[in-house]
Amino acid sequence: MRVETLAQAGRKPWLALGLLLLCVSFLPAHAAEVPVTGDWLVSHMLSDPEQLNPLTSNDGGSASILNYIFENLLDHHPQTLELRPQLATARPQISDDKLTYTFTLRRDAHFQDGKPLTGQDVLFSVKAIKNPWVNAPFLRVYYQSLVQAELVDDYTLRLVAKEPYFLNETVLSQVPVLPRHYYDPDGSMDSLSVTELAALRPGDAAAEASPQGTQARKFAEQFNTNFSRNPMGSGPYKFHSWQTGQAVVLQRDPHYWGIGKEGIDQPYIDQRTMRVFNNPDAALVALKAGELDTMPLMPIQHLKQTSGARFDKQFAKHQFFTPSYSYIGWNNAHPLFSDMRVRQAMTYLTNRQQMVKTLLFELGEVVNGPIYLFRPEYDKTLVPYPYDPQKALQLLGEAGWKDTDGDGILDKMIDGQKVPFRFEIKFNSGNEIRKSVALTLQDELKKHGVDANVRQLDWTIYLDDVRNHKFEAVILGWGMPAIEPDEYQVWHSSQAENKGSNHVSYKNTRADALLEEYRRTFDAQKRVELYREFQQILHQEQPYTFLFIQKAILAVDRRFQNVKLYPQRPRPLEWWVPKAQQRYHEVSQ
Amino acid sequence: MPSSASYWRRVWRHFKRNTLAVIGLWIALALILVALLADVLANDTPYYMVYQGTRYFPLLQSGLDSLGLVTLPPELRHVDFTQLPAERAIFPPVPYRPNRINLLVPFAEPSAVHWLGTDKLGRDVMAGVIHGARISLSIGFVAVGIAVGIGLTLGALAGYFGGWVDLGISRLFELMLAIPTFFLLITIAATLRPNIFYTMIVIGFTSWVGIARFARNEFLKVRNLDYVTAAVALGTPTWRIVVRHILPNALAPVLVSVVLGIASAILTESGLSFLGIGVPADLVTWGSLLNEARSNSFAWWLAVFPGAAIFLAVVAYYLVGEGLRDALDPRLQ
Amino acid sequence: MLPYLLQRLLLLLPTLIGVTCISFAITHLAPGDPAELRAGGGLGGAGAEGLSSKNRGDLDRALAAWRAQYGLDQSLPAQYWRWLRNLGTLEFGNSFKDNQPVWRKIAERLPITIQLNAVSIVMIYLVAIPLGVYSATHPYSVSDQATTFTAFLLFALPSFWIGTLAIVFLCGGDFLDLFPPGGMTSVGYSSTWPFWQRLWDRAWHLCLPVLVMSYGGFAGLSRFMRSSMLENIRQDYVQTARAKGLSEHLVIYKHVLRNSLIPIVTIMASILPGLISGSVIIETIFSIPGVGLLAYEAVLARDYPIIMAVFTISSLLTLVSILISDTLLTLVDPRITFSGRSA
Repeated sequence: MRVETLAQAGRKPWLALGLLLLCVSFLPAHAAEVPVTGDWLVSHMLSDPEQLNPLTSNDGGSASILNYIFENLLDHHPQTLELRPQLATARPQISDDKLTYTFTLRRDAHFQDGKPLTGQDVLFSVKAIKNPWVNAPFLRVYYQSLVQAELVDDYTLRLVAKEPYFLNETVLSQVPVLPRHYYDPDGSMDSLSVTELAALRPGDAAAEASPQGTQARKFAEQFNTNFSRNPMGSGPYKFHSWQTGQAVVLQRDPHYWGIGKEGIDQPYIDQRTMRVFNNPDAALVALKAGELDTMPLMPIQHLKQTSGARFDKQFAKHQFFTPSYSYIGWNNAHPLFSDMRVRQAMTYLTNRQQMVKTLLFELGEVVNGPIYLFRPEYDKTLVPYPYDPQKALQLLGEAGWKDTDGDGILDKMIDGQKVPFRFEIKFNSGNEIRKSVALTLQDELKKHGVDANVRQLDWTIYLDDVRNHKFEAVILGWGMPAIEPDEYQVWHSSQAENKGSNHVSYKNTRADALLEEYRRTFDAQKRVELYREFQQILHQEQPYTFLFIQKAILAVDRRFQNVKLYPQRPRPLEWWVPKAQQRYHEVSQ
Repeated sequence: MPSSASYWRRVWRHFKRNTLAVIGLWIALALILVALLADVLANDTPYYMVYQGTRYFPLLQSGLDSLGLVTLPPELRHVDFTQLPAERAIFPPVPYRPNRINLLVPFAEPSAVHWLGTDKLGRDVMAGVIHGARISLSIGFVAVGIAVGIGLTLGALAGYFGGWVDLGISRLFELMLAIPTFFLLITIAATLRPNIFYTMIVIGFTSWVGIARFARNEFLKVRNLDYVTAAVALGTPTWRIVVRHILPNALAPVLVSVVLGIASAILTESGLSFLGIGVPADLVTWGSLLNEARSNSFAWWLAVFPGAAIFLAVVAYYLVGEGLRDALDPRLQ
Repeated sequence: MLPYLLQRLLLLLPTLIGVTCISFAITHLAPGDPAELRAGGGLGGAGAEGLSSKNRGDLDRALAAWRAQYGLDQSLPAQYWRWLRNLGTLEFGNSFKDNQPVWRKIAERLPITIQLNAVSIVMIYLVAIPLGVYSATHPYSVSDQATTFTAFLLFALPSFWIGTLAIVFLCGGDFLDLFPPGGMTSVGYSSTWPFWQRLWDRAWHLCLPVLVMSYGGFAGLSRFMRSSMLENIRQDYVQTARAKGLSEHLVIYKHVLRNSLIPIVTIMASILPGLISGSVIIETIFSIPGVGLLAYEAVLARDYPIIMAVFTISSLLTLVSILISDTLLTLVDPRITFSGRSA
């Protein structure tokens, strides 16, 4: 790229001079455009994070805090979503069989306590994840395919995966790098290898008694207990304090190894305080009073409570889509919904456009499939199902549903018994939009002879019911990263057993084949074609009634510069405040 | 011994003199009436309709149909009567059902079309308040009924017999007080399908202790008094002593608890709606409306009208209770 | 007197065990598996997460190991027995959420809840008792009826609603800015501040929560005080005292008041347990990190160790307060005796 042009330019001096002049003319005209350090960013959390152990914590709140403290081998470019080096010097060398990944580490990286970061620490982090007694079962399963890891030398790491999968590189490079000397002071894991750890089975008495098992358990016990409130990594922000139920404070590390290094994000804000407000109304009041600098707004807050000159003067509001969608899941294995025509009828009866207008206040869009709206894989040619009760009734009639006994409810003979069209829509408490969708659908269905009940459940029980397929219809949502999608977990027929993510028991052989082939395809364009066909199948079969993707709204104090919106989410890491507008001048002690 | 008829007549005369209590009584009765007649006052099915030449009484007919007495003619089923071009139709004063959703008019301000406005799904608030009266009052009465039934009995037993009976029953009181009822409610609501009957029963079961303790104290105080000893000496059977002699005296503080109990049962229901438990999600109650008002503070009609309803109900029953207590107090004769 | 007291104290223990037994049964029988919840709070994202059902076996094993670690794989009675034994040594176990000792998590939050509730209770008494006395001494007057009306108005308005309104209108934002919108400390709070400054900051933050928590109690307690006083004013001994020539002031405030306070004592029994769990709603609205909120979240997350610890402590407080109020009652009201039917 640029390197080549300059080399060419070097051979023709007048070209070089011209280029130089060109570059100079693009230099910023005023110093205000140069980012400076300083000031605080006070943001909002709805509740305390669970804990700040980088491996065992499970909630989104902890993850966003830990992202400032820990780093990975590679990270994603926020705009192009391509992998780019962070702790590694470059993307890994990949063997031809796509199974071996060799990473070379930077030599100038160090942790927040000054100690250098080497391959030993990366290897240790991998081992900690693979240790079956560390309380990180979901994370470990993510790395199921990793079977071997070894150091070629202090700065070169080789990882071996079990099977070819186009996302292997992404998965393997996302290991959070933990300092070995801090998290394993006794060196319990030094003698263990990743292969050995992968073979250990908890609950197996022999494994637990073996020397490897004993060492692993010794490490896990102290790791699980001692590190929930004191994370230390290599990232730009150091953990400062955590007042339970009130605030978590991070402070910029002035000795961060990445300062001034090319290709590494520079931190500017001196202190990040995350304050807890359990009550979103109170949080909005705090925002307006200047006690918070930024806050995600709910639609009503955005429309009715944050308009007006006074608010506008102080805050800028940003609207953006986050990769996620809501849906109504029909239990495809249930006699009521196993017929595709019935599911299509349900979609025709769901007035999705009106819901986006009324329930989302136009802050969202109807979606027709599981892929993020802005990805190349999303099939824009799909024609959305309109709201058409006549068509729905016709389909239901074709599927055999008629009101034969005059009680106002459709019925059908199934297995020799007359079954009325009656079912229950389940959803979880705490989500007003899902509740509104359920009530609206219920009301609509009643008008056409379908008797639907709604049931609100508390989250734990809801989780149970969904995973064990104890439902007829559920209203849920999926969130996903903005990088390449992989729909295997949700749609492959094998995932319908064993509490897998295919809650609705969708089984389609052609879809299965497409999903499997997709995972092995390393050509991006070919993947797009495969998923086009896959989405068309889903569109026809309607295992879900896909509802909509919601827009998020973020209010940010206008003094923050460089607030950009990216495909995944905004990046507060990049924000900074000009000296003249800084509000907080000293960090907390 | 005054005969019961003139005793209650005297109580009524005394009660009448307390203007506030009488006002309370009227309001309380009005609320009960509204609760009983909710389906007739707020419904989107007309009383009388002439359609394509035929005369119908749709409200009556669907009422009888739901009781199983007649079958609704097919042309009346699944019909939106408000859209029907009938030659003549007489609708109830509030022509909406409380859970009739209309996504085209969310958060409508009070107007001639919707007297008290609509909520976020376009449901009419007036209909919600009227039907909500039925729910709140039922919960109040049934829950308190259960509480009084259990509490009075156990309290009387403990207070009158004393000794081991008292010891055992008092431990039961402690047990019930010590069990964290709030979390019990959450757990039960989570386990069972949400149903107002379960809510009523649970509130009743968890609130009888206060009444029981009052009853027990009164019985303890009174049973050693002379006139009771006299009655025992005369050979009066125990139940008669309890019912005729002790109960009227013990009734006063219990009555106050009863009325406060109704009021707090109504408030508990709204608190439970706030947490989203105990009441089915598609039921519109005063509490659920208030809850909606909380996050949508610009829609003042969602807060003011149900709030006023709760206030009226609570105050009315309280005044009645106070008036009754004053009227029953033998020392005030 | 003393044998009675001893008897009651001894009976405390079986009652407490009974309560904990029932609480244990209820919490553990409620549906919802803490292991599943702990392992994956969400239902997983639809992304590159490798949870295929092949891996389910490993996940199940890990969950089983986790359950074994906390003894959740044993039978309920065995679990209860183990918990009870640990209780004997004051060992409450570790929280499921973050494996921290339960007593530490509770100890962190207990002072805050107690502060909030104690101040609220004092507030209620400070306002309600004079109000009740005033109502009794000026029955059916205009001011009596006006105060009655206001007290009822306050009683009938749900606290969660008033709390939110208070925040919106009084805490900055678009209207007045008199109080902070939540939390216990201001943004720039530092433990290096002088004592009085910290005290003032804390008091300022607790103002609204205390107010919202206590306003509902004015009505009940003041009416109760009123009826108690009215009952006493009509007693014969008051007439006697007046006949003896005592000033009205002395009659009311010395004799009647003292006797009227007796039943107020019985109310105490129901207030003390509220010290722990009564403030969940207020704590949520005002973001106060108290025990009530901790317990509520623990119930939702099926964090059994915390739930049981909070239940036990609150039950103990309830039982103790009942004992205290019953004892006080016997001491003060000679009409009530506790032995059989003979006076």
